[in-house]
Amino acid sequence: MSGINLEHISQHFGEQIALDDVSLTVKEGEFFSLLGPSGCGKSTLLNIIGGFLEPTKGVVYIGDQDVTTLPPYQRKTGMVFQSYALFPHLTVFDNVAYGLKVQKKKKAEIKQKVMESLSLVQLESFAKRMPHQLSGGQQQRVAIARALAIQPAVLLLDEPLSNLDAKLRKNMQTELRNIQRNVGITTILVTHDQEEALSLSDRIGILGEGKIQQIGTPLEVYRQPNNRFVAEFIGQVNLFEAEYDEVTSTYTVPHFIQSNGKQVQLKVAAFKEKSEKHLLMLRPERIKLSSVGEEVQPNHVTGVLADVSYIGHSLRLVVGLNQGEIIVHASDAAFPELPQVGETVHIHWQPEDIVFLDSKVHA
Amino acid sequence: MRKKSISDRLLSVLIWTAGSLVYLFLTVPVLVIVLSAFSPNAFPEFPPTSFSVRWFHEVVSNPEWMESLRISVILLLIVTPLTVLLGTMASYALARLSFKGKEAVQAFILSPLMIPQVVLGIAMLYLFTAMGFTGSLWALVIGHVIIGFPYVVRTVGVSVSNLDPRLELASMNLGAGPIRTFFRVTLPLIKPGIIAGGVFSAVTSFGEISISLFVSSPQTITIPVRTFNYIEQTFDPSVNAISVIFIIISIIALLIIEKTIGLSKVM
Amino acid sequence: MRIKKKNQRFHWFMLLPACLFLVVFLLAPLVMMFVLSFRDVDSMMNTLQSYSLSQYLHVFTTDAYVKAIGSTVWVALQTTVICLLMAYPAAYVLVKAPHPRLRAFFYILLVSPLLTSVVIRTFAWIVLLSQNGLINGMLIDLHLIEKPLSMLWNMNAVIIAYVQVMLPFAVLPIATSLTDMDRHLRPASMSLGAGRIRTFFHVTLPLTIPGMITGAIIVFSLAAGSYITPLLVGGRMQPLLPLSIYQQVMQVYNLPLAAAMSFTLLICVLAVVSLLSYLLKRWEARMHA
Repeated sequence: MSGINLEHISQHFGEQIALDDVSLTVKEGEFFSLLGPSGCGKSTLLNIIGGFLEPTKGVVYIGDQDVTTLPPYQRKTGMVFQSYALFPHLTVFDNVAYGLKVQKKKKAEIKQKVMESLSLVQLESFAKRMPHQLSGGQQQRVAIARALAIQPAVLLLDEPLSNLDAKLRKNMQTELRNIQRNVGITTILVTHDQEEALSLSDRIGILGEGKIQQIGTPLEVYRQPNNRFVAEFIGQVNLFEAEYDEVTSTYTVPHFIQSNGKQVQLKVAAFKEKSEKHLLMLRPERIKLSSVGEEVQPNHVTGVLADVSYIGHSLRLVVGLNQGEIIVHASDAAFPELPQVGETVHIHWQPEDIVFLDSKVHA
Repeated sequence: MRKKSISDRLLSVLIWTAGSLVYLFLTVPVLVIVLSAFSPNAFPEFPPTSFSVRWFHEVVSNPEWMESLRISVILLLIVTPLTVLLGTMASYALARLSFKGKEAVQAFILSPLMIPQVVLGIAMLYLFTAMGFTGSLWALVIGHVIIGFPYVVRTVGVSVSNLDPRLELASMNLGAGPIRTFFRVTLPLIKPGIIAGGVFSAVTSFGEISISLFVSSPQTITIPVRTFNYIEQTFDPSVNAISVIFIIISIIALLIIEKTIGLSKVM
Repeated sequence: MRIKKKNQRFHWFMLLPACLFLVVFLLAPLVMMFVLSFRDVDSMMNTLQSYSLSQYLHVFTTDAYVKAIGSTVWVALQTTVICLLMAYPAAYVLVKAPHPRLRAFFYILLVSPLLTSVVIRTFAWIVLLSQNGLINGMLIDLHLIEKPLSMLWNMNAVIIAYVQVMLPFAVLPIATSLTDMDRHLRPASMSLGAGRIRTFFHVTLPLTIPGMITGAIIVFSLAAGSYITPLLVGGRMQPLLPLSIYQQVMQVYNLPLAAAMSFTLLICVLAVVSLLSYLLKRWEARMHA
């Protein structure tokens, strides 16, 4: 089992630049997700790692080995496709055994390894079935077993759960994580589902427009996004274009005017250069409702409730201002009675909750 | 898939060479004919030394060829509407009905394509002799319709399967009966399949020989039959000119079919 | 409910004309011919009133005819196999062509011969292969041979002409099979360690079996039933059943014998086609629900 090192990978398709100088390292045994919107290049990157595409520029290392020019069948990667890609003319057993037969293993050894793989995904009794007799979830598990059977150095998954319905997806996500922990194999998952990436990964690499936008743990990526792209892609976010006010040592947001006529003011916990315009973000769940109208102060806002969405475990409140709106997520437990649209609302948050988006700020 | 090692590249070259050679093999006869048709001599030469349309003049000025052309065209004009009518109706009905034995009926409708044409030919001959009109134009019409209309059934079938049946339901919901629905809604939407089928059928009729040879008479010699006689009996290079005309017709027909419903779906 | 009934009647009404037409002009004559095949003929080739198996006996006890049956099937088989072998690279190239224009070009090359009369296609081979034809002409000009080769009037010429005429019918179903294949199956195989050749034999080839069988069915039926091509390119003397049928009808006027031969031919073709269809059904059952 090995780690993966990508150095300055670029991929051009004619005039189109799919990947622009992408470098990243995946540690041994790590569960790493490549996250991004459709067309961002994440599948392209996975194909490059798997050997199905030769990058226009850059080097791919699996472990210490430079595999950039090696074809897929000479790399120690196992791949699971979105469409499962089970061989329809072979039984489940023969599908899983396929890679082992290529390695010319002995019959007894093949049988043992196949049953081991199938037991990892709890499908031992399905060995004699044909793929078309299996449900989507079962087919996906066989695809995973097949990739693991050859004991690759790295496991690559290309949106493997996209074709499953929501409930099945959740179950499979848990199973996937368990299998990965069990086997301990270096895993790279490509997905556009940020919840999936956040819940499964040790680290996430966010791709946008062919470039790496941020690499970090789920916590880092959610709480300290590098830029607007990441902040908006993961979770919901309130964005403020703010200017620094030397007099009050706060940041004012000219485009947001509260219902009492004042601009929104933000006091932050960490500083950046003082007189530039900055992009600041605030996560909706960090905002708390105040009980009474408090004095005008930074990190407090008065507005009118414009919309309430009840999701069961939480509420999504849209606080409308004279100009602008702020989104708040509050837990259901905080509201014995649901708030009404049109009510005046007072909200506040802590200085630490404000994050600078245009650069990494060291406090 | 862009991985290419040396052996992979070699494999690619091998496959593409083999494939191209096969296409060359398919095309060489056509090229030969074109060459001969424009060669001034009775025999083709390679490389060609000069260009002449002499044989085309011969064809046009030969009353026998012109008579055959007349017969072939009349046949085509009668056969095509008939095949389109029968084929479209049958194809639509098969798509909308479901009953036990439907597969068998479908096979029956398409069977003329599968029965050896020599058997079809002699069966027709026997039937027409018994009915008394062998050698007449109608014998040829019937023969051509039999082998032509399965093509229409196939192409219209493709169009019908692309048609959302809910459109017809919507029409009937709004009060139109099945007949009106068919003419107002279905027909316009399956036009591509009908056109493609009509073209297929027309070209097939124009080039039909296997059955025609059995049931034609000296008064009803179509172009392919006359071509056959010429080849068997004489060596008349004007056959080359006829062939080129055929080839051009087939390419035009092909382009029409491709434009209407796309070739890949028909075959 | 009433709408459904009205529809059903309309649809049945649409189906009737074609069925009626076929019953009268296809089924009836075939049945009549079947009956005819059991009639006797006298020495003047007049059909007698009696029924017997004499025609069939004649077919199966005459050496020439038995040989014709065997060689018809054999030639059709050879044609089918050669077509399948040649169709594969052609289908591959058609499907993998990088530009849609190139693919359209290949399609035209493939399908336009089909719309040309079989007389024309066969005639081309005469022009190519005859003693004063193109190939001989070129070989003599290049001083590779002194006297022209005799390439026509034998069974090989027939097979070559057959292959050229029927190849498109083999290429298209195989191409369809190739495009129907899940496009991730080849990468999946390669990710499991199989190279391109192994992937072809273990994944691609098995999955194109339906296409190959379909192509084989079409080519075999066509080859077994052709008479125009062998007439023009092989000469009347070739031992082929369709040729014998043609001769019996057009020259000897022995219709009952021709009928018996026709049904013998039909049965042979049906037998092979049924076998192939059965194999196809078994394969499809294994692969799909």
